[in-house]
Amino acid sequence: MNHTVQAEIPYQLWQEAQTLVQQGWACSLQDIINEALHRYIESHQEILTEAFIQEDVEWGLHGKD
Amino acid sequence: MNGDCMEKTNHTLIVADAGPLIHLDELASLDVLSDYAGILVPDAVWIEVEHHRPRVLQQANVKLIRQPPPPSLSKINAIRTLYTLHHGEREALALCLIHSINMLITDDTAARLAAKTLNIKAHGTLGLLIRAIRQDLRTLSEVLALLYAIPQQTTLHIRPSLLNDVISQVKTEFS
Repeated sequence: MNHTVQAEIPYQLWQEAQTLVQQGWACSLQDIINEALHRYIESHQEILTEAFIQEDVEWGLHGKD
Repeated sequence: MNGDCMEKTNHTLIVADAGPLIHLDELASLDVLSDYAGILVPDAVWIEVEHHRPRVLQQANVKLIRQPPPPSLSKINAIRTLYTLHHGEREALALCLIHSINMLITDDTAARLAAKTLNIKAHGTLGLLIRAIRQDLRTLSEVLALLYAIPQQTTLHIRPSLLNDVISQVKTEFS
């Protein structure tokens, strides 16, 4: 099931994405946005963010530097 | 507080991403970085901070040092897509490698993951605030007040229950 969203993006970013589509490097702007969201979510998983915060707290409390 | 851990002077150079500079300034707490000998700020990060929060760059008590764009490094290029690294994050990691600096401050999960891959230590706003207690830069109650203020006063997004856990840990440690 798809969901429609409305979002503002910087003009230059939009222009660069349009160029990729026009030159045939991407199928559509929607594909680019989907791919970008997938990549962001993959590299910002909650479990990872939480683990880093716990590391941070440990360092803050007991680090030597 | 453990006196053994207290160090007023720190000769370490570190590299900064935009997040902690902006978030600490939102809490009027950039001074928690004041004991570092210097904080290298990549050009792309400088421009980003200048755009969003120009007063960060005018702080007299923190030694921010603007760095020209570093040369492209194959190690960074190899991981930039994998971790969806922004321009500033790439420059920050490159500066760490070029200057053999083993500490990056960032609040971005992907940047931290990339740093780990490159054997660079990375810490964020929360760690820096808590560190300020053991470095004797802020009192426990000051830091607790800052931690409580994060959701209302900053653009740092953290799950409320996790922030509460962190606050509890800090209280337990120092009580």
